[in-house]
Amino acid sequence: MDVTITVNGKTRGADVPPETTLLTLLRSNLGLTGAKLGCDVGDCGACTVLVDGEPVNACLMLAAQADGREVLTIEGLSDFQKLSPLQEMFELFSSFQCGFCAPGMIISAKALLDKNPTPTVADVREALSGNLCRCTGYTKIIDAVMEVAARGGATAERA
Amino acid sequence: MRPFDYLAPQSVEDAVAALAENGAKARALAGGTDLLVDLKHETATADLLVDLTRIAECKGIEETDDGLRFGSLVSHTEIMDSELVRRHAPSMIDAARTIGAVQTRNLGTLGGNLVTCVPSLDSGPVLVALDAEVTVAGPDGRRRMTLIEFFVGPRKTALQAGEILVDIVIPRANLGKPCSFRKFGLRKGQALALVNAAASLSLTDGKIAAPRIALGAVAPTVIRAEKAEALLDGRAPDATLIAEAADMAVIEAKPIDDFRASAAYRCELIRALTRRVLDEATEQAAG
Repeated sequence: MDVTITVNGKTRGADVPPETTLLTLLRSNLGLTGAKLGCDVGDCGACTVLVDGEPVNACLMLAAQADGREVLTIEGLSDFQKLSPLQEMFELFSSFQCGFCAPGMIISAKALLDKNPTPTVADVREALSGNLCRCTGYTKIIDAVMEVAARGGATAERA
Repeated sequence: MRPFDYLAPQSVEDAVAALAENGAKARALAGGTDLLVDLKHETATADLLVDLTRIAECKGIEETDDGLRFGSLVSHTEIMDSELVRRHAPSMIDAARTIGAVQTRNLGTLGGNLVTCVPSLDSGPVLVALDAEVTVAGPDGRRRMTLIEFFVGPRKTALQAGEILVDIVIPRANLGKPCSFRKFGLRKGQALALVNAAASLSLTDGKIAAPRIALGAVAPTVIRAEKAEALLDGRAPDATLIAEAADMAVIEAKPIDDFRASAAYRCELIRALTRRVLDEATEQAAG
């Protein structure tokens, strides 16, 4: 079936079987491998993308359900010349070890800051509770998000 | 996932027709947070998914003549963000925020939570405590029932072949009724309830009226602790009475031992949570 989505501002389409998830569409059909395949059942958050501005597990949405909707992946945050404020701060704080959870963490953090530019630590922990880091680097991740907020938050975030 | 066919009807009638025509091999899809997991694990099979998410009638939260109406496709996040829910049934928000995590609350629907009907479902107790009713639609038309009648057993509802859940209504008389929800899980995030509980009641001349106690994860499905409710009805609330009602709720529940907790531990949780939700509902009622 034909599925057309607006991904990172561009209209992209593909002809995929109905059982294709949004994550497979992004990674295999559209070549956007930023969102990761982790648990594949909605527990780990590595596949988090924004659909119409809301973070969802791309592994638990059929591509067909995303048809006609707007999707933002980690690739849409920066233009590959300059990192987004969240990406920059995660780097500065050495928030990641292996980095597998990074795209999902950053997308979830962006969704939080878009809605709430001045979160408390509790807000950040709640917003990231659907993103698991098996290297257990949570403290530095939370510090990075708080720092982005302190420096002006979501308004500085692209896309 | 194994291949399946896919339909995305725009109306309840078209969805029902597609489900009825295709029998047991067709499954209705809403948020996908349960069904897609089951399909991936092959604990469920489907030759056809009938995606309900394009049906306008099953969307939105609105105040109607009947009360507060939730379309079955309303997400847990929509409940948390709803001004109408905040005004008329704020304990629904307390329950919604304990479900899953942000991503699954954005995908997962109220209707899906109720239809999946696991004993620990977190949106059940508050709705039962507020006497919610549901509308189901099927090949023979529509019917209404109370939510407690809708819950038949673990993962089993009153839905017959070809039927789908259309909406959930909190009756007008219960809008703003004092109601409290508590859940105990092993973590804050992404944890199933070991026990969850809701209580609602009114105070008339200092006496308890229309008490409701609804408990989850303590029996095959959400139950009302009716004997505990009877103890409370018509009496002035105090610590002794509420403790007696909590003890009665423990007797009425049938918790099991499993890998998350022992039945004995769950009994202590039932006692503690029942007391707490009754205290909180009483405080609200006393204003």
